[in-house]
Amino acid sequence: MFNYIAHRMLMMIPTLVVISIIVFTIIQLPPGDFLESYMAELQSQGESIDKQKIAYLRQEYGLDKSMPEQYWTWVTGLLEGDLGYSFEYNLPVREVVGDRMYLTIMVSMLTIIFTWIIAFPIGMYSATHQYSWGDYGLTLIGFIGLATPNFLLALVLLYLANVYFGVSIGGLMDEQYVNKPWTWDKFKSILEHLWIPVIVIGTSGTAGMIRRLRANLLDELNKPYVVTGRAKGLGEKKLLIKYPLRVSLNFFIADIGSMLPSIISGAEIVALVLSLPTTGPMLLGALQSQDMYLAGSFLMFLAVLTVIGVLVSDLALAALDPRIRLTGGATK
Amino acid sequence: MSINLNTFFTALALVVWLLGGISVQAVMADLPEEPLVTKMAPDQTIGKQGGTLYTLMAKSKDIRMMTVFGYARLVGFTRNFELKPDLLKDIIVEEGGRSFTLIIRKGHRWSDGHLFTAEDFRYYWEDIANNKKLSPFGPPQQLMVKGKPPTFTLIDEHTVRYRWDEPNPYFLPALAGARPLFIYVPAHYLKQFHASYTQAETLALLVDKYSKRNWAGLHHSRARQYKLTNPKLPVLQPWVNTTKPPSERFVFKRNPNYHRVDEKGQQLPYIDQVVINIASSSLIPAKARAGDATLQARYIRLDNYTFLKAGEKQGNYKVFLWKNARGSQVALYPNLNANDPEWRKLMQSAPFRRALSLAINRHEINQVVYYGLAIEGGNTVLPASPLYDKKFTKNWCQYDPKLANQLLDELGLTKRNNLGIRLLPDGRPMEIIVQSPGESTEQTDILELIRDHWRAIGIKLLTRPSQREVFRNRVFSGEAIMAVWEGLDNALPTAEMNPKQLAPSVQEQYQWSQWGKYYETGQGKPPQQPEVLELVNLHRNWMHAPNIQQKSDIWRQMLSIYADQVYTIGTVTGILQPLVVSNNLMNVPKEGWFSWEPGAYFGVYRMDTFWLKTKAGE
Repeated sequence: MFNYIAHRMLMMIPTLVVISIIVFTIIQLPPGDFLESYMAELQSQGESIDKQKIAYLRQEYGLDKSMPEQYWTWVTGLLEGDLGYSFEYNLPVREVVGDRMYLTIMVSMLTIIFTWIIAFPIGMYSATHQYSWGDYGLTLIGFIGLATPNFLLALVLLYLANVYFGVSIGGLMDEQYVNKPWTWDKFKSILEHLWIPVIVIGTSGTAGMIRRLRANLLDELNKPYVVTGRAKGLGEKKLLIKYPLRVSLNFFIADIGSMLPSIISGAEIVALVLSLPTTGPMLLGALQSQDMYLAGSFLMFLAVLTVIGVLVSDLALAALDPRIRLTGGATK
Repeated sequence: MSINLNTFFTALALVVWLLGGISVQAVMADLPEEPLVTKMAPDQTIGKQGGTLYTLMAKSKDIRMMTVFGYARLVGFTRNFELKPDLLKDIIVEEGGRSFTLIIRKGHRWSDGHLFTAEDFRYYWEDIANNKKLSPFGPPQQLMVKGKPPTFTLIDEHTVRYRWDEPNPYFLPALAGARPLFIYVPAHYLKQFHASYTQAETLALLVDKYSKRNWAGLHHSRARQYKLTNPKLPVLQPWVNTTKPPSERFVFKRNPNYHRVDEKGQQLPYIDQVVINIASSSLIPAKARAGDATLQARYIRLDNYTFLKAGEKQGNYKVFLWKNARGSQVALYPNLNANDPEWRKLMQSAPFRRALSLAINRHEINQVVYYGLAIEGGNTVLPASPLYDKKFTKNWCQYDPKLANQLLDELGLTKRNNLGIRLLPDGRPMEIIVQSPGESTEQTDILELIRDHWRAIGIKLLTRPSQREVFRNRVFSGEAIMAVWEGLDNALPTAEMNPKQLAPSVQEQYQWSQWGKYYETGQGKPPQQPEVLELVNLHRNWMHAPNIQQKSDIWRQMLSIYADQVYTIGTVTGILQPLVVSNNLMNVPKEGWFSWEPGAYFGVYRMDTFWLKTKAGE
């Protein structure tokens, strides 16, 4: 087991190196660089551009260097824990991301919990009551959640919340609490705003989870070991939770790999529509303006989380399901 | 030193307050000895101090708009676009525009309480503009005349002089610009970041603290007078930023040392603080309707008008319609420098450009897209400009497909294919691909209409939307044969403003970007066409024209050539800009120009004279 983990950890290094090269290349693929898009933006607003100043900035930011050199500066910086410099914000990336990270984690965690609370009971009910009215009804609701475009649902809820509850449009709190220390009122204000993104982002995930849980559970429900358990007199509830549910949770554990990064990135489009102060819109903006270190560091961060997440889910799977064996010569 | 001064004044204020004399506010305010008395415009009234103004922006870097809106300049434009001293007590122009003597108000203080003196100009000139580390390329372009910088003389504590060998007509408009040329900085504050004034070890610590590469980077990042990203930077503007970015909410507090007062002697600005909330641009109209903004124009367009109008009562605001000062809302730019030789030849031919313009039904565009509220015509100055002439708008802009067809036939483009599309001399069908930055549906709508209009003269129009940077590169490289963009940036010029937009002068001129680049940087080839050379010549003459009369003559000649040659094809102009103004907010003019240059948006209407009837939002 130890060998296996060590091996996996070592493999993460070349993986991340390759990812970092790809990330950096992709960000640089669109023509021009940050200063080009900066000039274009200024011009569209009628502001004039001092060519000398642009030349100076290009030198100052190191944009005049060759691509491999820029990559090298960035990567060595990353190793030292320096995420680089955001041109757009004129600040180190670390400071730019700052508080947004907490709010993003909060929104995402709540969304995940919301999804679980809704999806688990429904999935279990649907599987055990297959083809019943309840199964159809709940599935229908789930599909509606999946089929409605998130941004549309977000706008509709935003409007209703504003008209009926007087919640201010957009954002995660009333404007007077921004930049203020945490108080009870601020917390309440956040709760008032939080339910919209949680519902909007959550609904789309719910349906998928219901379906997968239902399908997996159905596969297990009629297997001999379940029948045996029942024949030996186990109660229905205990039987369900202890054996088939546990087995059908494989997919759920395997999901952890992709869940970790999504906690940080959140749902970009919804966050953009709702103008949430989370990291999603920031990443999008950074990609649009070719703010390469901000975007790059961000994507790298997500990549690291994905790699760790996959490792965690692999290990958890092995622990959960004894039928899964580690390959590569290692034995448990 | 600055901190001490501030503490000193606070203490002084407290003592006076304790003695029961005057209110703290009155003492804290530290006017120059000779403040600028602002006369209210006829549609404005004397107000009272206090309150908070809320406005919305989509990006946190938009807070630079406060420098634009605040519009405290060394010299600034009035509502009628005349130049008047503002921060300066006076400015004396001598030797036919070669020598400029700037006189600073006595006792004028920066927002941190430190005196504003000639030293602030000297520091900028000697320690920033001419410091190799801070300005490796020398002083800014606007300060160079024929590549030569001015001689700077420090006359006394309140007087400085800039003198050039040749007249510099760019100087004053640059100082008055929406994004002004800052030739002064808070020297007392910035010296702590400058290698000539601070020890290397101290500086190294600061460089490290702000994660900069070197002290030059540090100095720059601390000194952004336009972008306002450093809340500690003292300013002379009406409001001072107090929030460190990044943030979703920026609070601008009144500058206690501001130099303007009203006729009753009350210090401006009236409004105590301006709060800028950041929201995504698509939500801004909805938020404005919900009453979240006291004053809002940015990120609101004419399409939002009916939506906003319907919410007037609920949101307790009024919607004003101001005018936009673009030469044309949407204009077509035939690329005279296109790579394709056939198309280049056609685009360089005046009859061809005229035919394209004549074939456009501007009235239809106006009715379909702008409810008939726009002015139809070419890309030229607006009627409100003193340089306006009706013929500039009308020239080659009447809807006359017959004449257009005739012009094309005369060019020898008579062959057509079986679809009725004319053929180029080399046999290709005439398909004009219009490159668009792909950002506004407005452009797409208008192009859709023009497609039908041009079909009638046997030309097919195709649109190719891309991204802004890609779009620019295609035009610059000559790959594009035509581009769509906004018309003239400044359609409200006076004779004193530089007519550079009418002659090749910078690369960002989509009809002749390579010629523009030639005059900007000296790279590439100059134009050969007599009319274009004439424009270049006139532009040059304008710089040396000794008086306004000659300058305005030159302007008119240039406008006349530009209109006659149809270098850009305008459609409609005078588009209205909706403004959401809270019923609580007074002194916002009902009608105005919403323009970047020369109006600085709210700048020339003096946002510091806006006031709140009751303390809004509290």
